[in-house]
Amino acid sequence: MDHEQDYVIEMLHITKEFPGIKANDDITLQLRRGEIHALLGENGAGKSTLMSVLFGLYQPEAGEIRKDGKPVKITNPNDATALHIGMVHQHFKLIEVFTVLDNIILGAEDTRLGFVQRRDARKKVEELSKRYGLAVDLDAKVEDITVGMQQRVEILKMLYRENEILIFDEPTAVLTPQEITELMHIMKGLASEGKSILFISHKLNEIMEVSDRVTVLRKGRYIGTVNTAETTPSELSRMMVGHDVQLVVDKTPAKPGKTVLKVENLHVPSHLYKHDAVKGVSFEVRQGEIVCIAGIDGNGQSELVFGLSGLEKCSGGKIEINGVDITHAPIRKRSEAGISHIPEDRHKHGLVLDFSLEQNMVLQAFEEPRFQHLGFIKFGDVRKYTERLIEEYDIRSGQGPITTARSMSGGNQQKAIVAREIDRDLPLMLAVQPTRGLDVGAIENIHRQIVAQRDAGKAVLLVSLELDEVMNLSDRILVMYEGEIVGEMDPKKTTVEELGLYMAGAKRQDRQKEARA
Amino acid sequence: MKKESFWDKTATRSVLASLVAILTGMVAGGLIILIVGLTNPTLGIKGAWEGIRLVAAGLFSTGRGSAGELTFGFNPTSFGNMLFRAMPLVMTGLSVALGNKAGLFNIGAPGQFLAGTAASLSVALSVPTSVLPAWLIWILAFLAGMIAGACWGAIPGLLKAFLNINEVLACIMTNWIAANLVTWFFDVSNLKNALEGTKSGYIYKTSTILNDVVIDGVSSTVGAAVPEGAQMVATRGGVATGKMGLDALFGGSQINGGILVAILIAVVIYILLSKTTLGYQLKACGANRYAARYAGIRDKRNIVLTMALAGALSAAGAALYYLSGNTEFFWNTYQSLPSEGFNGIPVALLAINNPIGVIFSAVFMSMLQICGQKLTELTAYNEYITNVIIAVIVYLSAFMLVIKMWIGKLRSGKAVKK
Repeated sequence: MDHEQDYVIEMLHITKEFPGIKANDDITLQLRRGEIHALLGENGAGKSTLMSVLFGLYQPEAGEIRKDGKPVKITNPNDATALHIGMVHQHFKLIEVFTVLDNIILGAEDTRLGFVQRRDARKKVEELSKRYGLAVDLDAKVEDITVGMQQRVEILKMLYRENEILIFDEPTAVLTPQEITELMHIMKGLASEGKSILFISHKLNEIMEVSDRVTVLRKGRYIGTVNTAETTPSELSRMMVGHDVQLVVDKTPAKPGKTVLKVENLHVPSHLYKHDAVKGVSFEVRQGEIVCIAGIDGNGQSELVFGLSGLEKCSGGKIEINGVDITHAPIRKRSEAGISHIPEDRHKHGLVLDFSLEQNMVLQAFEEPRFQHLGFIKFGDVRKYTERLIEEYDIRSGQGPITTARSMSGGNQQKAIVAREIDRDLPLMLAVQPTRGLDVGAIENIHRQIVAQRDAGKAVLLVSLELDEVMNLSDRILVMYEGEIVGEMDPKKTTVEELGLYMAGAKRQDRQKEARA
Repeated sequence: MKKESFWDKTATRSVLASLVAILTGMVAGGLIILIVGLTNPTLGIKGAWEGIRLVAAGLFSTGRGSAGELTFGFNPTSFGNMLFRAMPLVMTGLSVALGNKAGLFNIGAPGQFLAGTAASLSVALSVPTSVLPAWLIWILAFLAGMIAGACWGAIPGLLKAFLNINEVLACIMTNWIAANLVTWFFDVSNLKNALEGTKSGYIYKTSTILNDVVIDGVSSTVGAAVPEGAQMVATRGGVATGKMGLDALFGGSQINGGILVAILIAVVIYILLSKTTLGYQLKACGANRYAARYAGIRDKRNIVLTMALAGALSAAGAALYYLSGNTEFFWNTYQSLPSEGFNGIPVALLAINNPIGVIFSAVFMSMLQICGQKLTELTAYNEYITNVIIAVIVYLSAFMLVIKMWIGKLRSGKAVKK
């Protein structure tokens, strides 16, 4: 058989429409046996829709799916599983209080007389783990292992089910640089063992490093498939966005002014109030600078922001905005004191998903005189305001201001939040993972907006898990590890590798000693 | 930007889903009538056919003609009674709808209804008409009812906001507490109907004239006819909602201006929810409490406020119903809760929580009650068959989303064929 034509999965001319939007318009994706195939596209380009079609969650209006050259019909996820298609989701689907082994066999466990046969399963998992170099501790509980190991558990789950087609949905978002290198190595090993991998990502350097071919989507359309060896990152980003993209943020050196945010010895409880998630953090953010909190997910960054924004009560310490103590102020007062906030979870906090776009744009401002008179909302002014933001910030939606937020793509939802928060024009901006899950085009847009805010004299506190973003955007980096700030660095004088060591807790500075020195 | 076609609008689909629920309920009721008729020799197919006609058009029934056949036509009494009975349902329906819009399931309407009953009845029957004119007492009684209902409704609200206790549990418990408290309250009051010997267990109608008198040194309460030689102390009662000319339109019915008040309140709630910042806040809390908090909206205050408003609405329904002057309250209520309260739930569901829609669904529900009455009056069926219809409709209202999805599928199926 001609190797070039040995496609394990083919999605031919897939078209899927939603009200007001063509999510997939004649898209073709052909995955060869044993290759790593990257799927690249902006948010809202149709990647998720295409994968949902492959998993039978959506039925396409037109097009055909073939497995090993034969047409198949996938009407629900069970069909996909039967065809040996497996997926590692961006957010892991693991049961925290179960052991690694139990998580791997869950749903595919061998039973005899109703008892789970763990011994056979253990042998099989151990074999797989050795063969593919996936080191895991089978008896540890998932809640006790690192994110990197959790991901290996997810991969083992797919292998245990003898999946041949492995889909990785933005797998590197939660990993440290060292773990990313390891994952790349694992993926190459899987491919050389004959597994076919579909790698969904928007990180061009990773795609360049690991993939054999790349398929690019843009605005629901198929742009093309290229061999990775014959392309360049800038060509890929041009294909993805449709125009040239600056991959490095263009910004002048910061000119910090007076202190806007002053945090002293702040303590914030964890979600379950078992312990403090933020343990005595002190720092300042000044006008005209972007201070970035770097760290691996779950080291207290989210709680720090909850404490600053008022979503969580602080258990100790002091917060000042422009010299005003807001430690115990309610959220509305803090917002009036000058905090705008791009929240980490745009679905939970950022938007009321069942409200229209225009209703969401005035989520904080609806009580201001410009949008209400004697308690009656000025609908005309809300509409005009939303239309202006849509225009200025290029928010795309099916029906303009009256589009339900839920029906918008993730990128455009985020653009809407960023537009709303920037337009409030307040002295301090808290931006938590503002570009999470977004594509290069949208990231570039949001980065430019944040730098523009800085240049306009705003203080920006950025929390990011993306090291590229941290290095590119920040004027000062604070690394958080286990609820404490363990290092302060100048992005121009440090490297990603050094940052990684601080993030993993392998290195720390004595900030007080330095402050004294 | 593509404009949605009429049939693709969510509002259209919601209304269609409600109509599907109603239609299915009517068909199910018809089937039951048929089965009962065919298995009952005194009814037979002819009786069943009469039953079906009465359930479908009982509102227009004018009794039986000279040949014993059912006659139909405009029946002003039935129409008036339908609107009168719809009045409390509009209010409890609004109460439930408001809660739903703010993400709270107010199953406490019966308790709030009782709180309103107790407060408005006791004000209407206690304030002497020599102190204040009857119309002013009416207004005070109405307001007292609403305030009592608001306080009662606020209790589950407070529990939810500050202790995170599920409002459904708290509402159910406060319902029964209200039932017992109200029974006790009237048991120790002097408002029990003592003038009509046959009326044990009832409170005076608010329209009753009560004269507190002293006869031979002994104080007592007598009706409008004051015995000779009695010394007048005070006159109470005689409070009733104005007819506002509606009795001329619907002769022989219980209707009064209360239905206009109910409709007015529905319009006010509609405006509150869709046009004001308060409504915006309440809906934001209901749709996503976390996002509302993030935006600095005081979610706890809004939860308490919503429940208090919902309580006031239910209680206003009770006030309108009992201040009409021709209704009597059975005070020994500790073993049962007023059905007006619970019927607010299907009324709100059927109206998809739209305050204007509530007016129509309440009228529809009370029409079914009238049909049931006609069924009992004119045939050997009993009126509980209409309860079966209501039950089926309630059941299907809970599946409203599924029905909407079916309608959506039917539409997209057509779109593909095109």
